[in-house]
Amino acid sequence: MTDDRTMTITLHGQPSELTEGTPLAALVASLGHAQSAAATAVNGVFVARGDREACVSQRGDAVLLVQPITGG
Amino acid sequence: MLRGRFLLGTAGYPSPRVLHDAIVAARAEVVTVGLNRTLAMASDNGFVAMILQTLRETGARLLPNTAGCFSAREAVQLACMARELYDTPWIKLEVVGDEHTLQPDPFELLVAAAQLVRDGFTVFFYCTDDLVTCRRLLDAGCPWLMPWGALIGSGQGLLNPYALRVLRERLPEATLIIDAGIGTPSHAALAMEMGYDAVLLNSAVAHARDPVSMARAFRLAIEAGRTARRAGIIATQDFAVPSTPVGGEPLLLGAAP
Repeated sequence: MTDDRTMTITLHGQPSELTEGTPLAALVASLGHAQSAAATAVNGVFVARGDREACVSQRGDAVLLVQPITGG
Repeated sequence: MLRGRFLLGTAGYPSPRVLHDAIVAARAEVVTVGLNRTLAMASDNGFVAMILQTLRETGARLLPNTAGCFSAREAVQLACMARELYDTPWIKLEVVGDEHTLQPDPFELLVAAAQLVRDGFTVFFYCTDDLVTCRRLLDAGCPWLMPWGALIGSGQGLLNPYALRVLRERLPEATLIIDAGIGTPSHAALAMEMGYDAVLLNSAVAHARDPVSMARAFRLAIEAGRTARRAGIIATQDFAVPSTPVGGEPLLLGAAP
């Protein structure tokens, strides 16, 4: 039986199930990241670390999460 | 704002220790980093931790890039993420206009530049050697231009020295850094002899058989090129100009005065 509070977002372009009302901070934590170890954007707009708790995911949101890496 | 002349990329080294030693050997004042946009939690084998440790030792600064962006909007978004993640307003702005050559898209660069400068970023533009494009980028308010020498990772050197000379001549106030395409220390020396302010490279060091020695070789070449530029390089001539004076009084070695 499907929980009717479950919704679908896209995470790095892939569909992902999430409970309605989940703050972005909780999503970051559920993916195993410390809040300071990743940066986030929703629907192409940067969401600062301090705003993640208040940023509640909506059905169909496109979420991007990045981490530091080597580069040229 | 830049004192050093060597900016070093951090990707593709055989180990974090080699990367550390290469940064030290290069005496790089700036090292570039990227943003991982995959969800994979796989360890980076300690590379990022080593970069941060090396920076604490050497005082070098981080320059994050927006590699892999195809639009201004995407680049602005990534720049904001980089600023938070790396705690720096510096950003190497890359917006790709062609997948095959990774040629920068000047139109998207301009749009992103205007936004980022408004938002307080210090923007280093990865751009082509087109003079008018470079002028427009400078008009956006950041004097840091990084024209390509050749395609990223190609090691072909300075493919269009004429255009690069024109840029230096026509944009005397800009800080010009050759970025991309450098394969050998002589390429870097040539860029400095042409009056460029600095060189940014990655693959030529990271993929060398001995990256640490190659980092040192580049540092020496960059210093040599810069010193030569300041010393005044002679003009080329079409015909021989005798360097040995054969006229006048003969010089007789050992003869009594």
